[in-house]
Amino acid sequence: MTTYTICIFTENTIGLLNRITIIFTRRRINIESLTVSETERKGVSRFTIVIKHESREEVEKLVRQIRKIVEVMAVFGYLNDEIVYNEIALFKVSTPLGSKPLDVETINKKYKAWVVYWGLDYVVIEKTGNDTEIFDFFAYIKQYDILEFVRSGRVAVGKTEKGLVEYLPEMEWAYYL
Amino acid sequence: MEAIASITPEIIETTPAAPPVAPKLISGSEALMMALVAEGVDTIFGYPGGAIMPVYDALYDFQDRLNHILVRHEQGAAHAAEGYARVTGRAGVCLVTSGPGATNLVTGIADALIDSTPMVCIVGQVAKKLLGTDAFQEADVMGVTMPITKWNYQITDADEVPDVISKAFYIAQSGRPGPVLIDITKSAQLELMTKPFAYERCQSIISYRPRLVPKLEQVEAAARLINSAKRPYVLVGHGVQIAKAEAELLTFVEKTGIPVATTLLGQSTISTAHPLYVGWLGMHGNYGANVMTDQADVVIAIGMRFDDRVTGDASKFIKQAKVVHIEIDPSEIDKIIRADAPVVGDAKEALNALLSLVNPNDHTVWRNEFRKYDVVEHETITQPVLNTAEGKIRMGEVVNMLSEKTNGESILVTDVGQHQMMASRYYQFRRPNSLVTSGGMGTMGFALPAAFGAQVGAPDRQVVAIIGDGCFQMTLQELGTIVQNKQPVKAIILNNNFLGMVRQWQQLFHQRRYSFVELQNPDFITIAKGFGMDGMTCDQRENLSDALDTMLNHDGPFLLEVIVEKEENVFPMVPAGTSVSQIRLK
Repeated sequence: MTTYTICIFTENTIGLLNRITIIFTRRRINIESLTVSETERKGVSRFTIVIKHESREEVEKLVRQIRKIVEVMAVFGYLNDEIVYNEIALFKVSTPLGSKPLDVETINKKYKAWVVYWGLDYVVIEKTGNDTEIFDFFAYIKQYDILEFVRSGRVAVGKTEKGLVEYLPEMEWAYYL
Repeated sequence: MEAIASITPEIIETTPAAPPVAPKLISGSEALMMALVAEGVDTIFGYPGGAIMPVYDALYDFQDRLNHILVRHEQGAAHAAEGYARVTGRAGVCLVTSGPGATNLVTGIADALIDSTPMVCIVGQVAKKLLGTDAFQEADVMGVTMPITKWNYQITDADEVPDVISKAFYIAQSGRPGPVLIDITKSAQLELMTKPFAYERCQSIISYRPRLVPKLEQVEAAARLINSAKRPYVLVGHGVQIAKAEAELLTFVEKTGIPVATTLLGQSTISTAHPLYVGWLGMHGNYGANVMTDQADVVIAIGMRFDDRVTGDASKFIKQAKVVHIEIDPSEIDKIIRADAPVVGDAKEALNALLSLVNPNDHTVWRNEFRKYDVVEHETITQPVLNTAEGKIRMGEVVNMLSEKTNGESILVTDVGQHQMMASRYYQFRRPNSLVTSGGMGTMGFALPAAFGAQVGAPDRQVVAIIGDGCFQMTLQELGTIVQNKQPVKAIILNNNFLGMVRQWQQLFHQRRYSFVELQNPDFITIAKGFGMDGMTCDQRENLSDALDTMLNHDGPFLLEVIVEKEENVFPMVPAGTSVSQIRLK
């Protein structure tokens, strides 16, 4: 199984998420994670969808089917080494009076994670990184009592110098500025 | 006179300017009517109901410009719109209400998507403030139709009407055509637009840009393959007729001398009498056309998508050949069969571009190889069907006789099953755009409403529907539509009292365990007469010719029921999932 990151640039319209996910469901491809946000262009949304698949050929077919959606402007299927990517995770850790104190220095220096909120008897630690880094930290912090753990989907940018602009003529692209 | 002339300018100058008239604002419903007229729509197939009533109220004033046809069931509207679209090349328009009205369109929409048929369905929806409240006749039609439309959109604001309608027609009719659904809330139908109505036909959409003219390097690569071929073979799909490229195809194959086969929906693109035509491909297609796919060294597939009914086991299909795939939908390239030379573009543009790059050739020896299979097929299958002297009438006989009597010039509309395959096998098409059938979806009940729609779209042509007794009972209520609209549709029921194709499979692959395929049929002619349509039954071979003459010469619609052999099978047959080389002749 290879991990593919699929970046989809679309018009920002209601129901488009549904139209996109239907293409995955119909081919029985499970979505590992999904992130949607507006891009640097007004009215243009960017979907970042991570899937695992054994066949590159099938992923290419999937990409072409997504491109076929009327509101979709461009679709890119990336391998991990073709992108810079990250995730964010929040850990809500119990720190009642008298419990083992947190080793903040290790958390900061070794794991590059930060306490972002102090509650009365808990703290919230934020950790960004790829999934391995997040799970390494998870393995470390679980010696404390983890009350809640949440991890975002992947966000990614391609390593090629130019962005989407090279795939749409400048003139038409200007429409979204 | 002079005096008047001299004072006139003064009068004009001193007349106070007319007070500015506020532009008349119109409702969403009126805007919809104006948009349809501006788009050049002449016919609407529809059925009114609660959530679409404001539109029907506006339609009342547009009856002189928009011919609304009241069907008997929304599925009938969808198939009629498909029939209309298939013969005109323009989008068929459906207008129905929310909830059940919209969901009844679903089968036709799915059918139109897979057979690349342009269609614009306008469906009513509950008022905006009721959306999501489980209001009366509210269904999530956007959600339901999302996977089966090329595009769908919900209008909740009257101001959106002109732009959305123009986009709908542009998307439905451009690129690879398909169905579009517009869900319009009752509130948007009723409310007034806040700006004056203005309609501009959509010419392009930034995120949707179908490539018409193929890239030169792709065409050159294709031409190189074609010029190097010893045993080239052209497979023609529906895309050639959609692109109206029949003449370009003919010029191309006549210059290159390449034999041509068609898919089911590609039939009638080229006359069956043309010396380069070698038959049609597919599960029940011609013997030679199918098995020779194993012999070709270069296959040129034009406007087709390698359906499994064409390829059989796709992993064994044309493995020995280099493939040129000319197709307007890039997602079809490499989907089933890998293309060595893909050409993305419109079939007409691509064939024109190829024409100057390909060398004249003849390929007589190669072409003649098909003929020996034709002889076998003729002797083992066709001849016995056409020359039976005893027993019940055979389906092929009826179609063959119809073909002779109409000189192969009718528009043939078929339903789905054995009669569909027999119609395709025995009708000798002489004119392009002459077969309307449900190919990809295989929708029973398609033919009667589609024949009606085809007749509305092509009033100057003879339309004949060939229908099975099972299929007929799925949409027979549309007899009422045909009669009310005085359309001279001729319908032939090939009645074997069976769901014939399922029975054939049960016979061949399920040890004759005929599980729920025998029908107790009604008296079809009494039903037709009840609707006010003339008809007759023919069950004797010696009466068949007269019966067909009676039908064809009848002024107005006519239903001919022909009682045929109960357990006739369609051959050749490529059993599902096997390779085309395993085609069975019996």
